[in-house]
Amino acid sequence: MATVQVSDLRKSFGALEVVKGVSIDIRDGEFLILVGPSGCGKSTLLRMIAGLEDISAGRIDIGGRVVNTLSPKERNIAMVFQNYALYPQMTVGQNMGFSLEISGMKKAEIDKKVSEASEILGLTPLLQRKPSQLSGGQRQRVAMGRAIVRDPDVFLFDEPLSNLDAKLRVQMRAEIKALHQRLGSTIVYVTHDQVEAMTMADRIVVLRGGCVEQIGTPLELYDHPENMFVAGFLGSPSMNFLRGRIEGQSLLLAGGERLALPSLPKAASGGDVVVGIRPQGFAAGLQDGARATIKVVEPTGADTHVLADIGGTEITCVVNDRVDFAPGQEIRLSITSAKVHFFDPASEARLD
Amino acid sequence: MFNSKFMQSSRTQALLLIGPALAVYATFAIWPMIEVVFLSFQHWNGLDPHREWVGLENYRYILTNDAVFWVALRNTITWTILAVIFPPTIGLLLALGLNQQLFGRVPMRAIYYLPVIIAPIAVATIWRWMYDPFFGLFNQVLTSLSLQSLISDWLGDREIALYSMFVAYTWQYVGFSMVLFLAGLQSVDRSLVEAARIDGASRWQVFRHVTLPALRVTLAIVLVLSTISSLKAFDIVYGMTGGGPAQSTQMLALWAFMQSMQIFDFGRGSAISVILLLVTLTIVVPYLRWSQRDEGAGE
Repeated sequence: MATVQVSDLRKSFGALEVVKGVSIDIRDGEFLILVGPSGCGKSTLLRMIAGLEDISAGRIDIGGRVVNTLSPKERNIAMVFQNYALYPQMTVGQNMGFSLEISGMKKAEIDKKVSEASEILGLTPLLQRKPSQLSGGQRQRVAMGRAIVRDPDVFLFDEPLSNLDAKLRVQMRAEIKALHQRLGSTIVYVTHDQVEAMTMADRIVVLRGGCVEQIGTPLELYDHPENMFVAGFLGSPSMNFLRGRIEGQSLLLAGGERLALPSLPKAASGGDVVVGIRPQGFAAGLQDGARATIKVVEPTGADTHVLADIGGTEITCVVNDRVDFAPGQEIRLSITSAKVHFFDPASEARLD
Repeated sequence: MFNSKFMQSSRTQALLLIGPALAVYATFAIWPMIEVVFLSFQHWNGLDPHREWVGLENYRYILTNDAVFWVALRNTITWTILAVIFPPTIGLLLALGLNQQLFGRVPMRAIYYLPVIIAPIAVATIWRWMYDPFFGLFNQVLTSLSLQSLISDWLGDREIALYSMFVAYTWQYVGFSMVLFLAGLQSVDRSLVEAARIDGASRWQVFRHVTLPALRVTLAIVLVLSTISSLKAFDIVYGMTGGGPAQSTQMLALWAFMQSMQIFDFGRGSAISVILLLVTLTIVVPYLRWSQRDEGAGE
């Protein structure tokens, strides 16, 4: 176990800079998730920590030791790859013991460590199998087993669940989280899936275009997004953004509709503003509120997602009750949530 | 024109597609092979309308009375062993080198492959000039380096002529293995290499545990093709030494040709060809079966 410090880290491929001065302090035993859309530099950042990519500028410390020029094997890290990267000609047991074997560990000790790890992961009956004889979820577990036996300072996960089907992904998510609680090790985990980030992380780092947008616990980021990007990235369905002008206690939309607001930004200048409201923050009815036209109705069973057009802006609201709305129908929307976010339309930054 | 039922029948379609090639192959490859087997039991000068059936006489003569046959057999086996070791090894090393992010690697690949597309008879001519004891490149270079003691009659010396010829053969065929290995190297999973590096593997261990297993199929193909092409080596010998000096570089394929086309004893020539075929099958068939069975187990 160890801390990881990333200080003003940069990475360029030729003239293209993909990581632009990222600084993150990862605590000992922390489960940190790097999340962002594709091309945000999250995988490159992870690969730099692993030592698989050179560092263009900046510094990485693992356990207080600068590792910039160290090879992957000198960093005492373990990595789980998206495609599992299991050695096809080796059995499960050999895959898990490979790193110990080439480090010169005695056979008996390797066997002991492998059987311990396979016990934790429920792989014991599969030790003699080849990777090709395993299912996707089993392969994923072997890849984790290979990391566990090494007892590394830091575990690195590079989108480990994206090749699994939805149901298995949910199951593995819980398993990885339980594993972290059991081992207490430092984990840096890359994903593009905000649900994974929200459910598993101690802290989340949201990246965009090679820069850190915000760092914080899942709920900090959900409740206090510092800008529209973070606000829109976390949460499902995404936050709705309505552009308009504040007049009195309500928001005047472009089409002339008015939405009553539960609170006002302190820094409101009376000018244009973007209001962010989560889909769960609306009440849809037929009497009070701003006029909206229904476009699509998506029942999910537990609740219903209603896509509607309000003053030329498309929004999604999640309605808990069963409703019999039809596309084209006109409804009335009002804000029920006390949590409304205000953003500057130009800088997209949070207004408090 | 075509009724659709007829076209849709997949068996008919398959026959239409492979039929012409099969006809050509049967006429010009299969039938001559059968004919050669018949000829090896006959005595025939190539012109006489009568072919005399002599049973195993040709084989008896070759195995007991033909000293050149045994030289040719020994040379062919030596040649094949060398050809299975050196060109594939050098080709693999070149492929590993040219698979790196290297400046100018594309033209270099082309340059190393170039000799493969030259006709073997032209390669033989080029190298015969270079080996010329008086005007050839090698002895000139040795002279200018004051290494006169190393000057040899490269193709005229019975002790070294076979090996001199093999150097030319290697030069020509290294590119062939190289290209196959380069293609094989593209199938090496990058994340496996990275996983091995993180697991602490050295360069050699990455090669041993990741690259080499991924090259298994390619390796089997290269070795089989190298074996076959070296067993039937003909043009380069024909063009460089003609089997000389004093039959010291004679090979089975060339000896079969000489028996038939120069001595006009088609029976003996055919018998040598049949023996060569049997030698080839004895080596290649078990190897193919072994490599395929092993591949199945590895999956």
